[in-house]
Amino acid sequence: MLIGILSATITAGKLALSFIPNIEVVTLLFIAYTIVFGYRKTMFVSLIFTTTEIFIYGLNTWLLVYYFIWPFLILLTEIMKKAVKSEYGYAVLGGIFGYAFGFFFAIGESLFYGIAYGWAYWIRGLLFDLIHGTSNFIVILTLLNPLKSLLSKLKMAYYREKS
Amino acid sequence: MSKKIIAIISVLVLAALAFAGYKAFLSPKGVEGAKEVTINIVIEKEGIDKTFTYNTNHEFLIQLLEENKEELGITFEEFDFGKMITGMMGYTADPTSEYFHIYVNGEDATTGVAEIPLNDQDSYTFELKNF
Repeated sequence: MLIGILSATITAGKLALSFIPNIEVVTLLFIAYTIVFGYRKTMFVSLIFTTTEIFIYGLNTWLLVYYFIWPFLILLTEIMKKAVKSEYGYAVLGGIFGYAFGFFFAIGESLFYGIAYGWAYWIRGLLFDLIHGTSNFIVILTLLNPLKSLLSKLKMAYYREKS
Repeated sequence: MSKKIIAIISVLVLAALAFAGYKAFLSPKGVEGAKEVTINIVIEKEGIDKTFTYNTNHEFLIQLLEENKEELGITFEEFDFGKMITGMMGYTADPTSEYFHIYVNGEDATTGVAEIPLNDQDSYTFELKNF
């Protein structure tokens, strides 16, 4: 049930901000979920989130890349979380992830349509990546700590009720 | 001023600099004035290999293609990353296995069709390819 709720909040968060290009809370939520609930549960969340996206938007090549990039972010967060406690570290991670977002997709597109197309796709999207990385940095820096403490309280209440 | 606000302002300043850098170095620039350019369309499986010569004042290839849409039998599709050619000479590429590869003077185009600037005496080849 917990994984279902977390997946639904990510989909809702993405849809709620979908009218603003490349400003999103999905990266923030995946990072926060990994820190609070651990990478195993969050991996399942990413799988459900991507599959839900396919139901909403149809099967596209860019959605297949989702099956790799969100688990990649979750793994990076899991590796970082033992050493990094400050929100600044995660803001930098989310920022770099946003700046490189188009590059990940360009690799995926290259596999389907060739390197020339992938290159064009990447260059064409650089300004979107710039907005994405910058907004990720700001969103994570300002919202990660309040979200982490709220989720930790909800997690405690959830497991208390279950036991 | 709090540390976070300083960090946010710093990132915004860096982003503005990167934006200026993109506009100055990576963003395609059109060339004003009259030009003579050649468009070659190759769809081997349909036996099509046609060449068109145009005199134009347009700055970008996409404008020339849109102006001569009917003669070239072009269809476009709008994606979130820009326009893509889906058909030429009345032939529609199968989106699951075909696309129109673009060459500029025989070299692979490095940008999408909407960002290719027109230069005098340049030739633009569109070839149906499989992926």
